[in-house]
Amino acid sequence: MPFYWTLAIIALLCAAGYVLGRRKAVASVGGDKRRLHSLPNFYGMNVALKGAVPAFGLLVFWLIAQPLFVEWRVSSIVSDLAVSEARDLGLVMVDVRRVADGLDTAVATGTMTASEATDIAAGDGNVRERLGAAGVALGSEVSEPVLRAAQRYRALSSTGDTLRSVAVLAVLLLGLGWAYRETDGEFRARNVVEQGVLALLLGAACIAILTTLGIVLSLIFNTIEFFSIYPASEFFFSTTWFPSFGGGSSLGILPLLWGTLYISLIALAVAVPIGLMAAIYLSEYASPRVRGIAKPALEILAGIPTIVYGLFALLTVGPALMVVFGDGGLGWMQAGTAVMTAGLVMGIMLIPFVSSLSDDIINAVPQSMRDGSYGLGATQSETVRQVVLPAALPGIVGAILLAASRAIGETMIVVLGAGAAARISPNPFEAMTTVTAKIVSQLTGDADFSSPEALVAFALGMTLFVLTLGLNVFALYIVRKYREQYE
Amino acid sequence: MYDNRASESAVTADDIKIEAKRVNVHYGTTHAIKDVDVSILDKTVTAFIGPSGCGKSTFLRCINRMNDTIDVARVTGDIRIDGEDINDARVDPVQLRAKVGMVFQKPNPFPKSIYDNVAYGPKIHGLAKNKGDLDDIVERALRRGAIWDEVKDRLHAPGTGLSGGQQQRLCIARAVATEPEVLLMDEPCSALDPIATGQVEELIDELRRDYSVVIVTHSMQQAARVSQKTAFFHLGNLIEYGDTDEIFTNPKDPKTESYITGRIG
Ligand SMILES: Nc1ncnc2c1ncn2[C@@H]1O[C@H](COP(=O)(O)OP(=O)(O)OP(=O)(O)O)[C@@H](O)[C@H]1O
Ligand SMILES: [Mg+2]
Repeated sequence: MPFYWTLAIIALLCAAGYVLGRRKAVASVGGDKRRLHSLPNFYGMNVALKGAVPAFGLLVFWLIAQPLFVEWRVSSIVSDLAVSEARDLGLVMVDVRRVADGLDTAVATGTMTASEATDIAAGDGNVRERLGAAGVALGSEVSEPVLRAAQRYRALSSTGDTLRSVAVLAVLLLGLGWAYRETDGEFRARNVVEQGVLALLLGAACIAILTTLGIVLSLIFNTIEFFSIYPASEFFFSTTWFPSFGGGSSLGILPLLWGTLYISLIALAVAVPIGLMAAIYLSEYASPRVRGIAKPALEILAGIPTIVYGLFALLTVGPALMVVFGDGGLGWMQAGTAVMTAGLVMGIMLIPFVSSLSDDIINAVPQSMRDGSYGLGATQSETVRQVVLPAALPGIVGAILLAASRAIGETMIVVLGAGAAARISPNPFEAMTTVTAKIVSQLTGDADFSSPEALVAFALGMTLFVLTLGLNVFALYIVRKYREQYE
Repeated sequence: MYDNRASESAVTADDIKIEAKRVNVHYGTTHAIKDVDVSILDKTVTAFIGPSGCGKSTFLRCINRMNDTIDVARVTGDIRIDGEDINDARVDPVQLRAKVGMVFQKPNPFPKSIYDNVAYGPKIHGLAKNKGDLDDIVERALRRGAIWDEVKDRLHAPGTGLSGGQQQRLCIARAVATEPEVLLMDEPCSALDPIATGQVEELIDELRRDYSVVIVTHSMQQAARVSQKTAFFHLGNLIEYGDTDEIFTNPKDPKTESYITGRIG
């Protein structure tokens, strides 16, 4: 039975369960709804939930477990083949899956009958050609073991699918029946449904957390793998970054970290004062009309894709800086791509980020606070400096640290504006590069994913992750410290 | 029924401190104050009484131009302090508010320490010559606000961490620390127990020696105890204004009489 049918049947049966449960509850008190413990709808929902939740749970579990099981059974068939041909088991399995999919397509398009697909042997006619006719291109001839394995794969999958439908429907009916039986006027359906809702919310939260955990774990495992083939001390303390895919590369993170921090620092030095002052102007001094125009305008700035900022850096800011600091001017700058270019443009990108967040935070400071200050004869700027800003400080620090994590994670502006040379230098007019930009360049192209030159991307990613995590923890700490003082 | 401290310490000065003529306040389309004329005397406590929403706070806010901070508020009319028109373009509202202090209806301590809350006004007006001086000012203000004993060991704890009544007294201390000539107090005792209320009333009585105090209150007893003059507001109109004794014993307007005897509220 196709998958969507299973879903449709679950939905239909649950709807039926809802109606029946509701009817039974009302009937059990002779139609007098006031004698029910809960509103009639809750009885219906109770039945529907008790059917749907276990059924869906089983379905999801089955969808995850079945491919693993089939893979495990089939791989035992081809493992001998893999050993004899000295090929990677994983690669053989890719072939098997491809052939199995091909057979499926062939049956679906009618170029093969179902029984042909299950019985065809590598000797009978040309399997590769016949599959090709059905629109499935295979790279090489299909060998007998692979074909056998593919057929076994299909057989197991289709049995699994049938079993899945049966099991899910059985669980569904059991759940519905059980809930229907317990339904009567005394039953506390409302409380049960509340708990069901709670479980649903909890489930959503778990998915969010587990995905994050999964990402972090994959980062960690790949990083560990990297450190098993490349010395950690080299990675953390070497001051040269010189990857060469032929081997013998030097993969020190320090130049990249230096570039990241230098560019972020310049960006924050631009964005924080300007953004903060803009926010203060908008929230404290601007008339409602100016505010009504300026705030959305700033927010549009925040919506510009970073690649556009990158172009701006490459085509406008870089050449403009060259005019002043380049060979024609002060002579400090060799090319348009430099830390300064990327930092300035990134700062411009972060201005709306800082100002918009800070503006909201400053606006949230209660008017009574300002009144108190004015009432004591303070001027507007004294009020802003001594009352409003301190009250808004935790939030503003949070906004700045958020901007800092954006700066550290920014990629496109760096790629286009800062150049690609990894170096440690105090001169902001030299080209440097960042961690993010190097992650991109290590993974694009024909990278072999088991070489240190590719795996280093995970170690770099992990470092970035730890860095931003540290920033966020620090932000939380500051916010909490001030909250104790200010609330 | 009312023990009136005013009669004990004789009031001599009769000069007018604040003079308001034909004051009208609109909040957008709401007409909150209607043609109010009143003369508030120096070295006197004046009580504003009246049912909730009648415009007491609004009128109080006219006197130190706090209504400027409300976009929708429009104030017309003539208010003079010591003969000077406060709505004149030459008058700096900031200077005016330093002279006319205010305690707000809702306690609004700053998110700073207790000490800094009180020191805020003296600091911005440069009232203290040095740190020791500032300490003295803070202590004196907190004592006058009847809260010194409770906070003397935690001057550097946040002011927002105090109880509602303590915050109210902190705000009173904050207001008196700047030594204003006129003190406007909007229900300063609404969250205080009888003992603290008594202490604040003593403070008001003490302030009267040098300043002019205007107090909004919902307690008839308090108005009778602390004030020499009483103004009764109703729906934005000033119904009756006169000596407190007179208003409470012999009100001229039937509305005043029903209010103070508790028939309208
Ligand atoms: N900021 C404001 N915006 C609009 N209308 C206001 C504002 N402040 C007060 N009002 C209106 O003005 C009128 C008078 O309000 P006010 O605060 O002066 O009353 P009050 O006499 O102080 O009352 P209470 O004893 O409850 O404090 C009310 O009708 C109120 O709705
Ligand atoms: Mg009021």
